[in-house]
Amino acid sequence: MSKFLEVKNLSVSFPTEDGLVKASNDVSYSVDLGETLAIVGESGSGKSVSNLAIMGLHNPTMTQISGSAWLNLPDGPIDVISAPAEKVRRLRGKVMSMIFQDPMSALHPYYSVGNQIAEAWSLYNDGSKRDGMARAAEMLDLVGIPSAKDRVKDFPHQFSGGMRQRVMIAMALVNNPSLLIADEPTTALDVTVQSQILKLIQEIQKEFNMAVILITHDLGVVAEVADKVCVMYGGKIVENAGIDEIFYRSQHPYTIGLLDSIPRVDKLGSHRLKAIPGQPPSLIGLPTGCAFAPRCEFVSQVAGSLCTTQNPDLSEKTTGHFSRCFLEPEQIVTLTGRKASAK
Amino acid sequence: MLKYISRRLLYTVILLLLVSLSIFYIFDLIPVDPARLVCSKSCTTALVEANRHRLGLDVSVLEQWWRFIQGLFQGRTYGEGGIKDIYCGAPSFGYSFNRHACVSTIMAEAFPITLSLTIGAFIMWLSIGISLGILAARKKGKFADRASTAFVLIGTSLPTFITGIMVVLFIVLKFHLVNPLELGDWQNPFTNPLGWLRTFFFPCATLAIAYAATYTRFTRSNILEISTEDYIRTARAKGLSEKVILRKHTLRAALAPIVTIAGLDFAGLLGGAIITEGIFGLSGLGKLSIKAVTQTYDLPIIVATTLVGSAFVVIMNLIVDVAYAYIDPRVRTT
Amino acid sequence: MSVNKLTSRRWVSITAATALAVSVAMVSGASPASAAAAKGGTLYFYTNSEQFPALDPTNMYTGRDIGLFGTYLFRTLTSYKMEAGSAGTELTADLATNTGVPSNKAKTWKYTLRPGVTWEDGSAITCADLKYGFSRAFALDVFNAGPTYAISWLDIPTLADGSSAYKGPYKKTGKAAYDKAVTCSKDNRTITYNLKRSVPDFNYFASYPTTGPIKASADTGDKYDLHPMATGPYKIKKYAINDELTLVRNDKWKKSSDPMRKAYPDDIVIKLGMNEDVRDEVDMTDQIPNGINMDGLQPLNNIAYFNDPTKAKQRWNIVDPFVTYLTANNSAGHLDCLLVRKAVFFAYDNQSLIDLSGGLKYYGVMGDNIVKPNLGMDYAPTKGNIHDPNFKIGGNPEYAKTLLEQAKTACPDAYDRATNPAKGLKYYRADTATNKKSAVLVEAALKKAGFVIETVYKPAGTYNANLVEYKSQTDFLASGWAADWANASTVIPEMWGNGCCNYTKNEKTPEYAPFIAKVNKALSELDRKKQATMWHELSQYGMDQYWYIRTVFGKDQATWGSKIGGMTEWKPFSQAIYNDLYIKQ
Repeated sequence: MSKFLEVKNLSVSFPTEDGLVKASNDVSYSVDLGETLAIVGESGSGKSVSNLAIMGLHNPTMTQISGSAWLNLPDGPIDVISAPAEKVRRLRGKVMSMIFQDPMSALHPYYSVGNQIAEAWSLYNDGSKRDGMARAAEMLDLVGIPSAKDRVKDFPHQFSGGMRQRVMIAMALVNNPSLLIADEPTTALDVTVQSQILKLIQEIQKEFNMAVILITHDLGVVAEVADKVCVMYGGKIVENAGIDEIFYRSQHPYTIGLLDSIPRVDKLGSHRLKAIPGQPPSLIGLPTGCAFAPRCEFVSQVAGSLCTTQNPDLSEKTTGHFSRCFLEPEQIVTLTGRKASAK
Repeated sequence: MLKYISRRLLYTVILLLLVSLSIFYIFDLIPVDPARLVCSKSCTTALVEANRHRLGLDVSVLEQWWRFIQGLFQGRTYGEGGIKDIYCGAPSFGYSFNRHACVSTIMAEAFPITLSLTIGAFIMWLSIGISLGILAARKKGKFADRASTAFVLIGTSLPTFITGIMVVLFIVLKFHLVNPLELGDWQNPFTNPLGWLRTFFFPCATLAIAYAATYTRFTRSNILEISTEDYIRTARAKGLSEKVILRKHTLRAALAPIVTIAGLDFAGLLGGAIITEGIFGLSGLGKLSIKAVTQTYDLPIIVATTLVGSAFVVIMNLIVDVAYAYIDPRVRTT
Repeated sequence: MSVNKLTSRRWVSITAATALAVSVAMVSGASPASAAAAKGGTLYFYTNSEQFPALDPTNMYTGRDIGLFGTYLFRTLTSYKMEAGSAGTELTADLATNTGVPSNKAKTWKYTLRPGVTWEDGSAITCADLKYGFSRAFALDVFNAGPTYAISWLDIPTLADGSSAYKGPYKKTGKAAYDKAVTCSKDNRTITYNLKRSVPDFNYFASYPTTGPIKASADTGDKYDLHPMATGPYKIKKYAINDELTLVRNDKWKKSSDPMRKAYPDDIVIKLGMNEDVRDEVDMTDQIPNGINMDGLQPLNNIAYFNDPTKAKQRWNIVDPFVTYLTANNSAGHLDCLLVRKAVFFAYDNQSLIDLSGGLKYYGVMGDNIVKPNLGMDYAPTKGNIHDPNFKIGGNPEYAKTLLEQAKTACPDAYDRATNPAKGLKYYRADTATNKKSAVLVEAALKKAGFVIETVYKPAGTYNANLVEYKSQTDFLASGWAADWANASTVIPEMWGNGCCNYTKNEKTPEYAPFIAKVNKALSELDRKKQATMWHELSQYGMDQYWYIRTVFGKDQATWGSKIGGMTEWKPFSQAIYNDLYIKQ
């Protein structure tokens, strides 16, 4: 059975004066209704672009896209990459919705939040303006805004950052979409607010049985909500597996580096935070060989300087666990000194 | 909001009083003695003093100003005009011995000309400027954009006195579009819209060209800037069509600052479009004031036109601020 | 044109020429009104000016307006004959039955009104109206622009400050004295003027609108200017400043009481405030065929128009009544040294200045007198100045230097003023674009001869009012003047004597008092020929003193549309004989 969203070999690149920016390179992933996929990576790893392309929010004149992204809708599957722009537009806000990193700037400052939510609602529903506002109040209540009815006519600047993100979520969900793409939804928020928002997304997902793609650079966030994880580096997926696999049996040195760089309560005291040395690669003219090789501490472990001459394939290391590395799971275990089944 | 407006109104009145007072002081400093200026060939000291009295300049500047303010509300009598004193009813802006009429009457005749010129030009330049700006922004980098860039370049670099003369000589007169004797004739746009259009279309267009160019550039760059805003991406993510996004989301934000600029440009022109009025022979406030300054040194007219001109700007500032509060809710609550 | 006849009204009044006006003029234009002249149509005039300096007859003092409105709107006791050639400079009776009867050595002048003359409201013009009109000129606080001869001539006592004891009809002061000086006969039709001294040319003054009738009951004082009552064949229908002046037929005017006026057009419209470029284009493309340009063209357009053979019958280039001049401030501490004044004269680059303003052909030629040849018998060529072998039209800095060198010992103070870099000459100029250009030429020429000079710009239009003040600050200035009628009595006393506009005056110099005595003697001389000889002597003297460092005899061009008929020069005003104008059918 195919999943709700299936992304296959999706490449997105932007021609610039300096050369072709391969922001997303041959990316494939899928997510099903009720499922949460986290896409993880540093900024500039290309984790947002593929999703913007799925939403059709990329700049069509300045973007080259190949591959496909199939939405398995009740009335038949549709490839949102090759479908006409107008058709994709009619899916936006209805079948698939997106929320963004900065709730401060993502809402129009001149319209009341109710107005903005109602606008999204009335696009796909017949009803008066008053119906729209009532629906907006309902949604605001749903996302946990206190005395929502009184606040529908308030303007974005009258809300705090977390509240605005709730407004964004309310707006994204007003038409009961099947897919919610959340692009760094908590990055701009206070830590305390972050988990509230994540919790909200989780609750709503359960309630509406949505597919959720959570784009983040923060593995801590991933741990809270995701069912499965795609780790991206240099525009490519470097590791793709279930949440536990990623956290406890990660197969890619980059993922391992990421995990080492987050503070973990369970390893407090015995573990020193480690930053990955070096800079993320430029997406223009990637070197032959593994994109992570220049920063990889295990590069010498692979025979015949393979890492710098040949790009490893994304291969299934264990069942359902894909990694783009020449090292085998056993070698990883040895090198990291990790107990294979430490849980 | 009401409280805000009334507070601003109070400030505006105070500001206008201060402006008028400083106008009186400034013109007192200019080393031209109007009393001497109107002295006849056989001028004596006694005659100069008599003139000074007649012109109301024989009292302190403060007193002159106070009489002027009083005259605004109560009307005023001006002495030595012949058989009987000259009376100008409220609001009296003074009496021009050079034009033999109350300044308020002269201004009331000139103002509709300047007003209709300004409104005509305003409508033209807003519609041309904004639509060209939108077109250019939507067709960024394409022919329409380049053509509008050329228009902007020409419009902003050609001074009005050149475009105006070119319009008159090479269009209006060359193709006999308007009889030169009717050039600048005042027609009431409500009773004779076609007549008004005939004499006002070209001056309005002349004024509009320069402004439209600026507004095209402004609109284009604002739209392009706003288009990159996150909330435009949000609007797109909602599934709104590009048309709705442009109309409802982009333009609303992109044109808001234009309200300020347009308001002030409008107010500035209400003070008189000196060059355009001169070229087309329109007897508006601009021609009135420039003649009073450069040729006749007609102090009451200079004072009145300066004051009225600045009043337009000050009042328009208030209107713009209030309007802006309606447009941008962020301003409203602060 | 160097002199804007409309704006510089107080300075420039206009001449009448005598019978035998020396014709340096290159008169072209149409032949005198022919049989083709026909009634009807609208006659247009157009001008850049926004308003007339004055429509109120009391304030009217520019030759053009006297000719124009004297023909169409206002009748006066006498008038110049509305005829071509020298006949036009002769006086004829207009409102009066004759050109005036002098008695008592021309100290008393008497006029009787023609029967049947009326106002535009149909009422008869009376002696009381004439007396009232004449009295308004005394109200100097209300009317400041007209000629002031009435005040200096009428037999009314003078107060300590030099002003008349009579203050005009709006005040009670001095009324008795005025009633004695101007009297009406019992039938209210004959007026008598009693003068202080002999004024043999009072009859010329009687052609000025300021001497004409004003109906007391219609007098609105300052506002009368906007709608004066007509006595001529037309009356004012509309006068809107910066828009237009419209004249329509005055149906109360009767040809029987006015044999002279022809009144061909039905309407006369004067379009005001026309942009100069528009006006010139209108002329060049004949867009208003039944219209006349009142201003002349801008210099470059003027040359193009005059080079166009198809326009030959729509233009003339004539000698105008003006002398433009540069006058020296002869007071102590300024140019009170003949040698320095002379040095300025010889250093001047007249060629460049004239070229700047349109050249010898259109602007004017170097003059040798402040009396212009078209004043007739009062003009005689002088000796010296431009006839001096050292004079070069482009300037003779070497000769100027030798004169300055002599001044070093002869008058060290003036020499110091002229050459000391810390002091230097101050040249007064009105602050206009054209003046700024010409000032550069003046400065360059004088510096070449070793002068130190600085141009002082003052607001345009303030010259007359601040003459006294400017005289204490500056060393020389440029202006223009024209005679009021064909007698140097309206030139020499005004410019060099005790008249209105003497910038060069220095009462402390020994030559001043005898000069004034001679001027006064000439003014009262009843023998016209003798008087002319006296003026010759006086102008030679003034020129020898180099009170006026430079004079230019100006020229004037006029252009008009193809349907204008009857354009002929009216000598007294160097304007059209407005009476002859008609629209070709």
